[in-house]
Amino acid sequence: MQDVSLRKILYVEDDADIRKIVSMSLEMVGNYAVTACASCAEALQVVDDVEPDLLLLDVMMPDMDGPATLRALRKRKSAEDAPAVFITAKVQAGDIAKYRRLGACDVIVKPFDPMVLPDRIGQIWQQFRSNGYDIAG
Amino acid sequence: MTSPDEIVAAELARLSAEFVAQLPKQMRAVEDEVTAWLDRPEDPKRFEIISHRVHQLKGSGSTFGCPGISRAARLLEKRIGTYRRQTDAGKPRAAEDVESAVAGLQNEVIRAGEQSRDPEESR
Repeated sequence: MQDVSLRKILYVEDDADIRKIVSMSLEMVGNYAVTACASCAEALQVVDDVEPDLLLLDVMMPDMDGPATLRALRKRKSAEDAPAVFITAKVQAGDIAKYRRLGACDVIVKPFDPMVLPDRIGQIWQQFRSNGYDIAG
Repeated sequence: MTSPDEIVAAELARLSAEFVAQLPKQMRAVEDEVTAWLDRPEDPKRFEIISHRVHQLKGSGSTFGCPGISRAARLLEKRIGTYRRQTDAGKPRAAEDVESAVAGLQNEVIRAGEQSRDPEESR
């Protein structure tokens, strides 16, 4: 697989404080270009302009949750091939496998340390570039 | 010169202080929403509202330096789920468990406030 570096992240999270600190950390510590959205509807408005390399999606959001948001984004040409990472505080036995079946490349469990998140995202990206995964789940 | 790590850490500290400051307000909302939901447990909208709020507290508590909030919110989330699945006969006991978990969360809110006023106490 061609070596392509991760640059653009489309991040969807309804909690404003978490959205702010994660965006700051990914941008300032990880040097990624982050477009942060509060909802699926917002993400759909910007995804074609952003053409994200990676989707970072909170699982539990009102109206449209992470998996529903991913399904909606996947219908856009600009996001159909981007690996998706779910963020969730709800992880029970079997949940990670379930989220992978729903199309996630990997899952980040809340709570997480915002300072180490950029490294974790970088690792997930490298893993994706090395091994790929079934985008459709 | 301030490094990016220091800037992010400073912002995290600021947001953590804000998080703790608004916890009492969040707690009042949790209490009101739980009371309203237990009055009308068949209302899916009320369940959705309380679930979402408690889930957010669980996810953001530890991120903003309050692991006790995350633990207490996790317990409340679990008990809310148990109550919802209970038969009518089991609901009174399950409701008591929910109220006890709400009280546990309230204690953690008080503790988080005290620790933010006196950080030495958290050590």
